[in-house]
Amino acid sequence: MSFWFWHGLKNGIRTTQYPVMPDLTVGVTPGRPVKTLFANSQEAERASGICPTGAIVSHGNESAVLLGNCVHCQRCRTSLPQAMDWREDYEWTIGGSDQKEFEALPGAYVRSTHIMVVDAGDCGACLREVKQLNNPFYNMHRLGLFLTATPRAADVLLVVGPVSENMRGPLLKTYEAMPTPKKVIAVGACAISGGVFGHTFMSAGGVGSVLPVDLKVPGDPPPPLAILHGLLVATGRKSPSREESVATVGASA
Amino acid sequence: MVLFFILALLGLVLCKLLGGHSSARALAILSSACSLLMMLSGGAILVGGHAVEIPLWNIAGMGALGLRLDMLSAIFLFTAGLVYLPVSLFAGNLARRRLYGDYPIRNYGMLHFALMISVVVLISADGALTFLIAWECMSILCYLLVNYEQSHRSDTRAAYILLAMGEAGFLAVVVAFLILGRGAADWSFAGLAAAAAQLSNKSAWAVFLLGFFGFGVKAGLVPVNFWLPRSYTAAPPIFVPVLAGVTLNLGFYGILRLNVQLAPPHDPAMGMLALVVGSVSALVGILYATTDNDMKTMLAHSSIENAGIIVTGIGAAMVFSASRDLVPAAIALVAALYHMVNHSVYKTLLFQGTGEIEATTGTREMDRLGGLVRVLPVVSVIFLVGCLSIAAVPPFNGFVSEWLTLQSLLRSAVLASPGVRILFALCGAALALTAALAVTCFVKVYAMSFLGIRRGNWHGHARERAHPPRAAMGYLAVACLLLGVLPTYVVPVLNLAVQPLTGASAAEALVPPFFTATAENRQLPPAFLEDFHNLGAQSGRSWIPGRGLVLLVRGSEQNPVVFAASPAYSLVALVIFLVVAWVVVSRATRKRTLARKELWAGGIPKLLPEMSYTATGFSNPVRVVFQAIFRPNIVEDTRETVAVHFRTAIHRRREETHLVDRLLFHPVGDAINWTARFLAGMHHGRLNAYVAYSVGFLLVLLLLFRLS
Amino acid sequence: MSISAPVVSAAERVDERKLVEGIQERFGPGVSISRGEGGISISIALHEAGLLPELSKCLFWEMGCSWGGFVAEEHESHWRLSYVFLASRLGWIEVLLHVPSGAHRIPSISSGVHAADWHEREVEDLFGLSFEGHPRLGDFILHDQVWPEGVAPHRKPHRKTMDVQQTHLRHRPNPDWRPLLVVQDPGAFAMPVGPVYEGGIGESLHFLLETVGEDVVRAIPRLFYNFRAVEKIAEGRSVPEGLLLAERFAATSAFAHSMGFASAIERLRNVEVPERAKRLRVVLAELERLRHHTATITDICGSTALAVAASQASIVEEELLRASCAFSGHRYLFGLNKVGGLSRDFGAMALGRLQRSVNEAAERLHVLEDRLYFTSSFLDRLEDAGVVIPEKARDLNLLGPVGRASGQGHDLRQECAYNEYETYEFEVPRESEGDGYARLRVLFQEAYQSARMITQAIDRLEAGPVLVPEDRGSSGVGMGWVEAPNGAALHWVRLDNSGRIERYHAMTPSFNNWLGFHVAVEEFAFQDFPIILATFGLSATECDR
Repeated sequence: MSFWFWHGLKNGIRTTQYPVMPDLTVGVTPGRPVKTLFANSQEAERASGICPTGAIVSHGNESAVLLGNCVHCQRCRTSLPQAMDWREDYEWTIGGSDQKEFEALPGAYVRSTHIMVVDAGDCGACLREVKQLNNPFYNMHRLGLFLTATPRAADVLLVVGPVSENMRGPLLKTYEAMPTPKKVIAVGACAISGGVFGHTFMSAGGVGSVLPVDLKVPGDPPPPLAILHGLLVATGRKSPSREESVATVGASA
Repeated sequence: MVLFFILALLGLVLCKLLGGHSSARALAILSSACSLLMMLSGGAILVGGHAVEIPLWNIAGMGALGLRLDMLSAIFLFTAGLVYLPVSLFAGNLARRRLYGDYPIRNYGMLHFALMISVVVLISADGALTFLIAWECMSILCYLLVNYEQSHRSDTRAAYILLAMGEAGFLAVVVAFLILGRGAADWSFAGLAAAAAQLSNKSAWAVFLLGFFGFGVKAGLVPVNFWLPRSYTAAPPIFVPVLAGVTLNLGFYGILRLNVQLAPPHDPAMGMLALVVGSVSALVGILYATTDNDMKTMLAHSSIENAGIIVTGIGAAMVFSASRDLVPAAIALVAALYHMVNHSVYKTLLFQGTGEIEATTGTREMDRLGGLVRVLPVVSVIFLVGCLSIAAVPPFNGFVSEWLTLQSLLRSAVLASPGVRILFALCGAALALTAALAVTCFVKVYAMSFLGIRRGNWHGHARERAHPPRAAMGYLAVACLLLGVLPTYVVPVLNLAVQPLTGASAAEALVPPFFTATAENRQLPPAFLEDFHNLGAQSGRSWIPGRGLVLLVRGSEQNPVVFAASPAYSLVALVIFLVVAWVVVSRATRKRTLARKELWAGGIPKLLPEMSYTATGFSNPVRVVFQAIFRPNIVEDTRETVAVHFRTAIHRRREETHLVDRLLFHPVGDAINWTARFLAGMHHGRLNAYVAYSVGFLLVLLLLFRLS
Repeated sequence: MSISAPVVSAAERVDERKLVEGIQERFGPGVSISRGEGGISISIALHEAGLLPELSKCLFWEMGCSWGGFVAEEHESHWRLSYVFLASRLGWIEVLLHVPSGAHRIPSISSGVHAADWHEREVEDLFGLSFEGHPRLGDFILHDQVWPEGVAPHRKPHRKTMDVQQTHLRHRPNPDWRPLLVVQDPGAFAMPVGPVYEGGIGESLHFLLETVGEDVVRAIPRLFYNFRAVEKIAEGRSVPEGLLLAERFAATSAFAHSMGFASAIERLRNVEVPERAKRLRVVLAELERLRHHTATITDICGSTALAVAASQASIVEEELLRASCAFSGHRYLFGLNKVGGLSRDFGAMALGRLQRSVNEAAERLHVLEDRLYFTSSFLDRLEDAGVVIPEKARDLNLLGPVGRASGQGHDLRQECAYNEYETYEFEVPRESEGDGYARLRVLFQEAYQSARMITQAIDRLEAGPVLVPEDRGSSGVGMGWVEAPNGAALHWVRLDNSGRIERYHAMTPSFNNWLGFHVAVEEFAFQDFPIILATFGLSATECDR
């Protein structure tokens, strides 16, 4: 059985340099659309029209992006005569709400944060990306982030999915079972705005309808580095993105 | 003493004469008075230090009947009184709540007093005749009392087996006495003791075996104890504590009288047999107790386990005294007697608790209980004390007696023969396993009955819960604590009985006089005293009477290891530690707010009783590990299917034959049946053959006469 | 220790004439057989409902068909019930039954075709239809413990946003609810696991593990915590919106499901996808399969706590995700399928890079596999864990790698080829032991076959368009099928006259296989439970939709 040890050593260190240095490897992030200046207002209107979740908002010939609604369908990139501008970054976390600034977890939690992950109707991609945080590339343990199986020992509640109706009760119970201080992070477009599922009788349209959300990590799914950024923001080691605000209306019914 | 008899007879008459409710009260009051008298007499004799004799009438041709209370009898008398008092109080409590069942209390009271009288006569008998008469009365009265609720129980087999086994044991004992008394002048114990010195080896073995197994029936030893679980389960709740706390002890009394006092063993092999039988009983008892779910049956098996421990102590004492190591023999015997007293106290407590549970919920199945701590708060606390005692947790009494028993087994280092030492080691290991299983068993009992979610459909009525038997059970709980915390006072008392039996003083060995020893008077070696003084063994000597609070077991010169235990000091230390911890924690968490939230169960809406652990589930690992002993037969595994692929119900029934039945009684029964069938072949009805039989028999007889 | 060589799946070819004649003979005037539409080869219309169980049983057992799915549609005056079977290498056979709207009792077929058990329960919960003779209806999607009776959310009158505010007020825990337990032993109890699964990161599942203390006798699953009513949301939406929904309800098989939906619409509109698009679809589908199987292997190693192997496997998975992202712009291949082809084309450089990544991944997997088969403590935990015997696998119609590990050779790429799979050289591995080790072997072999097919597809690529223009107007019925990584998936779509979706039903492999898991896996030690779950590799969200 000792050959596993050598096998592991042989494969070398794969861990990313993030957060000390940005990670520029191809494929770590799908990127996102950013504010684009179109040739004329019809093109801009067409861009707004092609977005299935209303993430592109056009004024004149300028189109802005509400990242919380973007489901990465890539239509604004592949199906427009003039594609939207695209940026390959991953620090997308949006913090706070309209009422207050985001406050990070205090003192001792910064280097030792325990995270409880709840799947509230997720499609599977966001959950899988969260799982990648444990692989040798991202290795969240080196940053003091740990997964816990019980909410009683958790500091951060990571919710993925639009909160399907059957999971509303268990999610609320999980939140109540956590001791203070606690932070809620909504990961993924579904958790922020309902994604493609919207607000129906079986889907709450985002975690915000059920729990008070402290941080939002947009993307569908957000790549592991984006989730990592979100967790670092939760512990105060990084600051949230100040670029876009989030629309509260999801996909139309 | 005479007062006792008067009161008891009065009680007997009154119970019969008075009406139902007053009869119950009379029963309670007079019985309590009688038991107090029993305790007083026992105590007086022990304190006084000499025996009391009461000669009764003579029977022509058979000898005199008389009563003589010596130290050994006094201890048993005291213990019996100790048990009868809460039993009486409990009966009174049940009477007050009108819960004594459907049976007429008048007849019950009559039998109760009659049994009390016969027990006292038995314990104080001074001759084989008195002893045997009292024994037979006691046996029959037990049968009647166990069978008391037979009008609304279908199974009377339990009592019948009790009677049959009891009679078989009695016959064995009678034969033992006859063999012993063949050369005796009269039937008094003094005469028999003299005659015992002249027994040949074979007769001595015969007396030992017959006496041991004959009394072993009542004492609950494997393999003659299979009446015990059944009878305990069938007996009414008022009577079961008496069965477990009084009549069980009579078996030990018989063994001690006959096999240790009258006919002391000269051959270590006898003691080794007793040792082995004791250890095996203990192990088998606790295995079946751990896996049983009916509380009463479980407690019955636990009684078998405790009886095994006591007999192990007695066996060790017999081995030691046969090898002329008197001090270890005394220690072993003290341990056995101590365990007997403890067992009587906590078993009575547990049985009363079970009776209380049954009255409140209507069920004894642990799989159907749970959450009783909210329904029966007082009983649950007291029951916890009982569970801790029987699981041998300090500072309660079970710890001291088990510790002493194991220590006495460790004394085997003084024995010469390596074979015997190995046997002692094996029995010690068996006892250790037993102790561990006992903890498992009683954790299961307490947790499954009192804690957790309610699993069954019962509703405790307020009426039943109104007046918990606080006096009866509380008194026993206090006794458990005292017996556990003050062993250094109990051991000298027990020693009074042990010293005449073995000739050595255990108190000297076990209870060093830390309080009275000083460097000057040299009651203890100075260096030794110095060490123990630093450990705090002399704390409190100025105001606590007695010799000391530390139990000590010292090794020999080759093996000078010392084991010391002091439940009193450890209780004090425990209390101090708890107080300090509480203060520290409340200081440190002063600023934190305590939030009470509901149980986390994975997010399901509600944790239902079907989802919580059952008693069967808890004890399943034991059942699986010891599968070779249990050999369960999974009889049915019917899977009712509505559709072939979808099973709606899986039924399982386990049938287990008891180990002893399987190994001993079934083969013997089968052999007997086989022989009978074979012989029945002779009854075929043909006249010619019968004539041939007669002729053949005649020929054989003639041949025999010719030859002799 | 030998690794059994992959066996070519030899699902017997069903003879069309024999089938049709057999049915005509047995059921005579009660049926009319005709050509089906929208991908269905043969449509058997039943005139009397009473023949349904017999006919289904005959098709499944005697004619050797396998089970596809069950589509229930509510029309104005009647219900249209379509039971879909697959006749190997022949095509899809549909048993069609029209039931008037008032009559709500339909004979159940699940006593004959056990695989249909959950399909009927789903229809009962969502539509309120009752199936006579079904052993266990109710408490399926809408948990009895919190949902009141009679909700039937998929019926037309129930709007998708109906009572959105009222829904969670309406459903309250029912204090008298008791789980329906199977083991009737006084000492038996049911240990609850989930729905917030306490195994680290897991999907939301709830299990009641019935046990008498040591071995788990039965695991009763209570799924549908991830139910988002995707099919209801799709009603009234346009085709591109439907495509997005089909892609997103189970994102780890996103490309496969979106391809299934797209092919359903393509069949409906008689659209012929260009050659280049077909081959690229093969490349992308097999890439997804490779990545999905690597993820399952990672989970298996993780469940047995062989941490180094799990890390190594996750390295392969992450490399594949990055390669997918570099190739297509998204790690999980979102947004690539469109009705009529693909949404973008790929250059030769990108294809070359992808080829290299895939080959590297396959090599790493080979090394990992060799090491794993030398780790006896790992194999000990997998061998004889969760055994599903071949008879049960046939009975319950297990699909995908799980079925193949228990002797079932179903693979839509061979039995009902699409995207010209019949022209590719590949083997479908098959084992017969049905334990965790067999499933692991099948996963590895399938991964290698996927890598092989990617190479073949890239080699065959020729220049050409990747998309044909869409025709928006047509209506009708179309069925698309795809061998998703977890098994065979069917997507059934009906468009109304304005080209909007009237009914969409996805029959997913996880839905089928969860029933198999529940019935076939019994008498296991509690510690083996996570391992058995990991080796099955099922997706709760794919099942729940």
